[in-house]
Amino acid sequence: MSEASVDLDQYRATARRWLDANVARRDERAELRSAHEISADQLAQDRALQRVMYEAGYVGIVVPVQYGGLGLSRRHLQVWREESAGYAVPAPGGIASHVTLGIVLPTILAHANETQKREWIPKMLSAEEIWVQLLSEPGAGSDLAGLLTRATADGDAWVLNGTKIWSSGALSADYGICLARTDWNAPKHRGLTMFKVPLRDERVSVRPVREINGSAEFCEEFLDDVIVTDDMVIGEVNAGWPIANAMLAIERSGVAGQIDVAGDGSSQRSLAPDLVELASDHGTLGDKGVRQLIARAHINDYMQGQLAKRVSMAIMAGTANPSLASYIKLGLGLVQPQRAALAMDIAGRSAIAWSASDGGGNAASLNFLNGRIMSIAGGSNQIQRNIISERILGLPREPSVDSDKPFRVVLREAKSWGSKS
Amino acid sequence: MQLDLTDDQSLFHQTTLRFIETELPLDQTRSLHDDPQGYTRSWLRKSGEIGWFAMLVPEAYGGGSVSGTGLLDAVIVSEELGRTMQPGPFIPMNIVASALASGGSDAMRSDVLPQIIAGEEVATWAHADGRGNWDDGSSLALERSGSGLRLSGTRGFVQDAVSADWLLVVATTDDGPVQALVRADDPGVHVRPLTCLDLSRRLADVDFDGVQVSPDAILDTAGSDLLEAQLLLAAVLVCADTVGAIDALLAMTVAYAKDRIAFGRPIGSFQALKHVLADQALYLETCKAGAVAAAKAVATGADNAPEIVSMVAAYIGDVSNELAQECLQVHGGIGYTWEHDLHLFLRRVRSNAVLYGEPTWHRERVCAFHDRSDGALR
Repeated sequence: MSEASVDLDQYRATARRWLDANVARRDERAELRSAHEISADQLAQDRALQRVMYEAGYVGIVVPVQYGGLGLSRRHLQVWREESAGYAVPAPGGIASHVTLGIVLPTILAHANETQKREWIPKMLSAEEIWVQLLSEPGAGSDLAGLLTRATADGDAWVLNGTKIWSSGALSADYGICLARTDWNAPKHRGLTMFKVPLRDERVSVRPVREINGSAEFCEEFLDDVIVTDDMVIGEVNAGWPIANAMLAIERSGVAGQIDVAGDGSSQRSLAPDLVELASDHGTLGDKGVRQLIARAHINDYMQGQLAKRVSMAIMAGTANPSLASYIKLGLGLVQPQRAALAMDIAGRSAIAWSASDGGGNAASLNFLNGRIMSIAGGSNQIQRNIISERILGLPREPSVDSDKPFRVVLREAKSWGSKS
Repeated sequence: MQLDLTDDQSLFHQTTLRFIETELPLDQTRSLHDDPQGYTRSWLRKSGEIGWFAMLVPEAYGGGSVSGTGLLDAVIVSEELGRTMQPGPFIPMNIVASALASGGSDAMRSDVLPQIIAGEEVATWAHADGRGNWDDGSSLALERSGSGLRLSGTRGFVQDAVSADWLLVVATTDDGPVQALVRADDPGVHVRPLTCLDLSRRLADVDFDGVQVSPDAILDTAGSDLLEAQLLLAAVLVCADTVGAIDALLAMTVAYAKDRIAFGRPIGSFQALKHVLADQALYLETCKAGAVAAAKAVATGADNAPEIVSMVAAYIGDVSNELAQECLQVHGGIGYTWEHDLHLFLRRVRSNAVLYGEPTWHRERVCAFHDRSDGALR
């Protein structure tokens, strides 16, 4: 046995003992809370537990030592993930914690200056600072670089005004990594700057966005003359776009990194259980047509799993085109709405009205409403198709009408789009 | 298609590519479209020399493969055959060779098998009923007749029966399905050629009119296990053939979209076409992932290999045809001409989707596996 594997085995044993002594077992129902349902007490409790975990050396396992991490290998991280899977590892801001550690932290690590990294990263690891992304706006989603939030220089400070939306878990968060326009005379991609913005500031209001399914996972933030100092600028002024792009790539590859590449597809060994139950409730399990629908859903689930595994392995091997991750995203964006529609077909009328005791139709209708999440969030199907066609297939880009002009001019010309000049 | 070829497999792949390029590149396959047999014996012998029919046979019986996992090597070849529209009985020859190695008599192994491996004699597999359905042999009866046996009935859609020397037929007895190896020129065997959608393949119905069979011609099969194993091999190989074909088809279509100018731009710069092509690229990548998973599941004897194969076959069967149609759409008028290669691929993948179980049949099979294992669908 090699030294490395002895080390990993010892690491595993120590981690297991520590988890057993310090962290409760998982309660999946508690994890279903949406961010705005996390009470202040709960948040404080979870922060405290993450701090304990951090001090014990189990947060920031692969983060370099000079920034408060452990500087260990990805294999150590993998061991920790395996061992901690059954435990209620704290996520103080719910999804916001995952955003902080999984997306914002790596972005900061790659793009912030030394002072910022030494000051901010340990606070993220210890849960003193929970961050979310302030990127999308009501008027800028797929065309993120067309955003309108403005940051105006005022001495050695900046004044921010605008509206951000679709930030997950912002009600529990302390800071946002915020992309704002700093030069209206530059072309759209070259007038954007990345800032660290306080959310617990009287000039920021955060409210939950109620979604079509009635729940509220996301937030909207109104920035009203929010003042940040110069040292809150991440990277160079007017050079925020490449950072945002890199952050989006981290987000996408995070999806790829969660794929169980060693798995044998055993999670798909039972036949689309939700659909089987639905058909069973309706007495249509023996129906040839329904069996075909269930098999289709089951097969699509399996094939998506195999695709994700193939692409993740190629990306992890390091030689593949990183844009391949868009295959996983587009695959989900196509399969999930189809699956939701299939369930509605099987559920029939029970998914338009149901009694309190009938859970199947209710679940199908909820999936129907949620079916488009993956086809819109985090880069719509259409954006993924642009990435695949341009960066993988090498097809020519669309002629751009807005990337070389001053953004101010772009906005003006858009208003008279289609009328003869 | 596979991400992790060994050095030996890469070399074998190169040999295969060189052989096709030298002997029968895509642009020369058309010369065989009007040939009743669809290929030449001398070409078949040469393909035997480079090992195309040896891969699913253990070395003890004269077979062998470069990686030791013959099915994965055969998948490498099958993919290239689909990519270049190669004719001939690659899949049926390999299925029969594998069946003889597993369940054939000593005489079959010593006299027939080496001839097949060498490409000297042609063997094909008559597995389907007159409508092309998998019927466990029920439309062909094997009955006692004096001291011997007699075959009566039909097998349908038998690939390369027209040129075959040997037919491995699936028939039924009172005890269930059996497989018998008969000469194609035995009295009472009538081969009726069919006109084929796929110009690169030859299919025929075969009638057995009281064909006398020696008991020595029956393969030693434990129930229908061998039959099931052959189906899995065939489905894996035909999926690989389809993947090769749609890989070529999409590459051809993307290249066309970059070259063809309309409205002052390459048509591939229009999102209306870019998005269609991106979807097809996704489907192709998913087909590749599935084809590799199915091949590995069968090669390693995974307990759920039959279900994985049916899932993958159903998916690839459906998606490949959609992909071919969209590639035709992107080509527009030129793709509708006889001279353009597009229709060769369109025909082949449509035919592939049927040969070893249609998607609907594979989906019902997927449900049936769960009926048996946990009663979920009862």
